[in-house]
Amino acid sequence: MTALFSLVFTISLYWGAKWCYKHKPKVYLSPLLTVPVLVGGCLLLTGISYESYDAGAQWLSRMLEPATIAFAVPLYKYFNILKKHAAEIFISVFSGSIAAILSSMAIAKMLHLNPQIVESLIPRSVTTPIAMGVSETIGGIPAITAVFVIMTGLLGSIIGPIIIHLLRIDNDIARGVLLGTGAHGAGTSKAFEFSSITGTISSLSMILAALITLFTVPWILSVLPILL
Amino acid sequence: MRIFLGSTVQVMLLCAFSLSMKQLVNVLHLKVPGSILGMFILFILLQTRVIRLEWIELGANWLLAELLLFFIPSAVGIIKYKEMLIDDGIYITVVIILSTAVVMACTGMTAKKIAERKGQRQSS
Repeated sequence: MTALFSLVFTISLYWGAKWCYKHKPKVYLSPLLTVPVLVGGCLLLTGISYESYDAGAQWLSRMLEPATIAFAVPLYKYFNILKKHAAEIFISVFSGSIAAILSSMAIAKMLHLNPQIVESLIPRSVTTPIAMGVSETIGGIPAITAVFVIMTGLLGSIIGPIIIHLLRIDNDIARGVLLGTGAHGAGTSKAFEFSSITGTISSLSMILAALITLFTVPWILSVLPILL
Repeated sequence: MRIFLGSTVQVMLLCAFSLSMKQLVNVLHLKVPGSILGMFILFILLQTRVIRLEWIELGANWLLAELLLFFIPSAVGIIKYKEMLIDDGIYITVVIILSTAVVMACTGMTAKKIAERKGQRQSS
């Protein structure tokens, strides 16, 4: 019963939040911020545990898999644009992914966070399923990584447009790679607000970044101690 | 109404496809998640015209439009780590903001520079 209720509750709040965001597209009204705050607040107030909430809500999380597969559709529709810009997409996503791994590690170490949090932070910039897998192989805690991934998505969709504005990034391709590499699915959702080409480039960048991270993180972590 | 029914059936098709990809990854012991493998396979099936775009387009568009909804339960999961967030939350937020800014600046500027160079070559 609670399971069904938490599902219906989350979806209705999401619809409401989406409606608000449509009428007033301000960062602080993003459904990814408002709904979790409201739901989390309700859970803390009523004393319902996250586990019993998630018994129903996990069906939403599970939809992430078919949703990731659905990216094949824009990929197919805009394949010509992608082919034309393959080199710049690949080079910039590659440099961004390496920057993500190294900067997360360096800044976290500078702030003396404990090693397990550092390891959980390293794959934070890529899409949840891959980030959790990488986190596990390098000794982080996958569930905590999932939280960092969401924080990255939320903060990234706030910082992204600011950086685009500051650095005067005016072409669709560069905007797309920036949002997809920096803030995975949430960034891609933002990118579709710019244009459908930006969104498609962003979804491709997100996938590419995930694959690059999956294959380079274990290698970087084994080479780095030798270099330092 | 017909569009609604069509989307629902197509979303269910994509879910079934996703489940079978998960099985495939398990059976073959692959390191890549089923969703990423599934996306590549679906892309190839579309390219080779085994699957027609109109069979899945409505469903795929719906899933992509509601993407944020599927992130919400994991975002609520933050409450499980209250203590960690009270102790280190500010530092963690600082790491994420700074590092994300570095990543975005690096990615965006690289793409911009390459595009500018390409543009110069074409115009000269």
